[in-house]
Amino acid sequence: MPTSTDLLQGTLDLLILQTLSLEPMHGWGVAQRIQQVSKDALQIGQGSLYPALYRLEYKGWITAEWGSSENNRRAKFYRLTATGRRQLESELETWDRLSAAIGLVLGRRVEAPR
Amino acid sequence: MIRELLTRFRFLIFRKKRTEFDEELRFHLEQSIAAKVAEGVPAAEARRLALVEFGGVERARAECERQRPAWWLGTVGQDIRYAQRCILAHGWFSLAIIATLALGIGLNTMVFTLVNTALFKPVPVPGGARLVAVSNRDVTQSERSMRMSYPDLLDSRAQSHSLEGLEGSANLEGVLSEPGDPPQPYHLARATTGIFSLLHIHPILGRDFLPSDAQRNAAPVLMIGYAIWKERYNGSPAVIGKQVRVNEKTATIIGVMPKGFMFPTTVDMWMPFIPSTDELKRDNRPLEVFGILKPGIKMAAAQTDLDDIARRLAAQYPATNKNIGAFVESFNDHYNGGNIKMIFLLMLASVGFVLLIVCANVANMMLSRAVARQREMAIRGALGASRWRILRQLLIESLMLSLLGGVLGFGLAAAGVHWFDLATSTVGRPYWVQFTMDYTVFGYFTGLCILSGLLFGIAPALRFSRPNLNQILGEGARSIGRHRGGTLAAILVIFQFALTLVLLTGAGIFVHSLLRTLDANQTVPADQLLVAWISLPEDRYKDDAARQLFYDALLQRLNALPGVTSASLTSNPPGLGSAESAIEIEHARATDPAHRPQVAFVTASPEYFSTIQLPLLLGRSFSALDGTANHSSAILTRATAARFWPGQSALGKRFRFFNDQGKPGEWITVVGVTANLAQDLMEQDPKPLLFVPVRQEDWNSVSLVVRSTSNPTSAVRSAVQKLDQDMPLRDVFILDAAVEHRTWYLHLFSKIFIGFALIALLIAAVGIYAVLAQATSQRTQEIGVRIALGASVRNIMLLVMRRGLWQIFGGVALGLAGAWPLARLMANLPIGVSPSDPVVFLAVTAMLACAGLVACWLPAHRAATLDPVKAIRCE
Repeated sequence: MPTSTDLLQGTLDLLILQTLSLEPMHGWGVAQRIQQVSKDALQIGQGSLYPALYRLEYKGWITAEWGSSENNRRAKFYRLTATGRRQLESELETWDRLSAAIGLVLGRRVEAPR
Repeated sequence: MIRELLTRFRFLIFRKKRTEFDEELRFHLEQSIAAKVAEGVPAAEARRLALVEFGGVERARAECERQRPAWWLGTVGQDIRYAQRCILAHGWFSLAIIATLALGIGLNTMVFTLVNTALFKPVPVPGGARLVAVSNRDVTQSERSMRMSYPDLLDSRAQSHSLEGLEGSANLEGVLSEPGDPPQPYHLARATTGIFSLLHIHPILGRDFLPSDAQRNAAPVLMIGYAIWKERYNGSPAVIGKQVRVNEKTATIIGVMPKGFMFPTTVDMWMPFIPSTDELKRDNRPLEVFGILKPGIKMAAAQTDLDDIARRLAAQYPATNKNIGAFVESFNDHYNGGNIKMIFLLMLASVGFVLLIVCANVANMMLSRAVARQREMAIRGALGASRWRILRQLLIESLMLSLLGGVLGFGLAAAGVHWFDLATSTVGRPYWVQFTMDYTVFGYFTGLCILSGLLFGIAPALRFSRPNLNQILGEGARSIGRHRGGTLAAILVIFQFALTLVLLTGAGIFVHSLLRTLDANQTVPADQLLVAWISLPEDRYKDDAARQLFYDALLQRLNALPGVTSASLTSNPPGLGSAESAIEIEHARATDPAHRPQVAFVTASPEYFSTIQLPLLLGRSFSALDGTANHSSAILTRATAARFWPGQSALGKRFRFFNDQGKPGEWITVVGVTANLAQDLMEQDPKPLLFVPVRQEDWNSVSLVVRSTSNPTSAVRSAVQKLDQDMPLRDVFILDAAVEHRTWYLHLFSKIFIGFALIALLIAAVGIYAVLAQATSQRTQEIGVRIALGASVRNIMLLVMRRGLWQIFGGVALGLAGAWPLARLMANLPIGVSPSDPVVFLAVTAMLACAGLVACWLPAHRAATLDPVKAIRCE
């Protein structure tokens, strides 16, 4: 049985990059934000969130630094790097192309890409 | 992009701190709990829910760690440490594998290096791979090759269109002397003047030969080799232009050849070949001829080319060249063909066997180990190890074993090659045969051995690492006799024993004939006899009378030396060969000239028989008169006398020699009969031996034989010098050393083949031992139960040994079938063996069976003496 991380890895990375592109955030924040924005449809398992964050950091697309949270707790904040931003753009493009194509095949009307 | 790489590189080297993840996690959980409390969940419940939601903490941590670039490198370190522990824990087993690999890699590298060097490596001159030797041969007798005459060489060179050049050389002894330096003999080549430019090798000092140097009235010139230049002339550049004497004729040194150049074989110095009147005849064939194939021309094409030329010459000069064909062969085949090639190929075949045994053994041990470890693999699999991880760990373990074996093997090969190089340095091998380590070959065999280990170690492990964890784990220690790797291991062991037997037979045959040569001529006091050769220059010793005068004076001086019991002359001291001739016996039925009886003969001075202590059984020894005109006489050995005059006294009987042209000589009268003597030690069926007086054959080279209580070398040397200060003493030996020198290859190859065979024996014994021991230790519990239930020592021993005994039996049977053709093949070698030597077969079979029995007995004995209480609890 393939793990969900395997299936979703590319998508999860994209979601994280997109979320972080707005502002630097800690892991909990990323998870919450994705959940909120997707109206609770996407619940990120914590077991896959952190590996994904680490992976992106190792790739140099995001960097982490320690800061203090809203309630003055020490927390690790992730921020998109320049490379990460470029990566996000190219992945968004790919995503748009792909979803449009899939939509066409499935016969669904889709909004025109941005 | 660069930034990305830098980031990756940074993380490759520095790992994140473990606390970093912990802290991040704690923060996450706190946030999660806080969010739940805010929703109204009680604090304790919120904490529980948060943890449940998060899932496995350790798993997440491991997952995060795994994201790190090159994360797996760290686990390789773990694998290496684990492999180390495994290797050390199974010390003997590991040692057996390492030793086996080392021997396999070492021996094969060594022998392939030797064979490649001796049989295939080209002469190290530009275009050496295209260098060929050209000989003549009598087309009516396909085997014999002959040298070439000077006019034929010139014609072939002019007409050939497949060769870049054709040059010839005739080797002889050249005594180099000049005022103030003692005369010294060297290997001299009289070579056609183009020889160096054909090879594109130029003198490092002075000039090359010029065509004008070969003209009849040219001033004699001499090219010296590097060794003479360094040793005799201290590397002085002033040597160019120096006047020296070569074989008592003046010559001028014109050049020095580069270091190590001794073309064609072991030549120390060269002179231009200036043909004498005799040498301008086509039936005088003194030259060894070599050429270089034009690029792209095959040997066969050159053969056709030279065949055509030979045919034209035969038509043009039927008197001398009728039935004379040409024969082109590679340089290696020319100098190292025939028996040498045969022995080397035999060596190659035997290490091939060793290699097979090694591979089979490594495979077998790995297999038995893999079987023994299937539970371990199953447990690791059950704990979540991936197949790749298990595979990698085994791979690393095998590689470490192989690496250790390889390093040892390398040392072994290097030492072996060096030893062989030393051992053959005095046997007149061509200068371009240099035995040095061949790294390509080493790499090849290392690869092969390791591969066989990996293949057999990993394949079964992989099979066990996968399915049926439950079955294997559940079976546990109570598995009785299953998965013992049964048939495959048994076949491998049988195969090993068969090959070992074949090898042992080969070694046995060598040893047997070696023993025979050591056994020959036991009455001759070989350790007290000094032998040395002298040559009487024809210029100063023109006839028989002059030579006899010198011999008489010399023998008188030698006999007067302190410590010398007896001194005499012969053409061939005991065991050092003989001349051959066809004879005709008086009053015997006339026979067809092709079927005249052949004899071996040596010359002897009157005192010879007492010097070598060969008893005279009948008649008398030679007198001073024997061998002079009308007094041709001979002394026969007992076997010879019985062969030609069975049942009657040979004394007074007459026979005569025939020379090469088939013309009869004088009638020779038999004057005495001696005990038997072996002259041709390696001849399986030696020709009848007889002695003739020294003066009866007008040879100008003779061997001194001096029996003495102490080593008289220097006294003998000065005695010769006092008579003739220009006469060097050559090849001075104590007789047993001379015999050993002559039979060097029997000694050398006996050692080598014994080595191979013993190693094979050892490996095969270790192999059967390791497999049985492994199998037995797996059955420890079962054996404990059997002992507890009353099985006797005998029962247990039989239980364990039965399998081993069957394998030994099968191996021996199969091996004997293979050894038979080998023995027949070796009978063709000139080492004096008969094809069906029952002693050898019996001896080696017994030896192999004993080794096998001991190897089986050890684990069986250990099993039988087990303490049943401990055995049952074992695991």
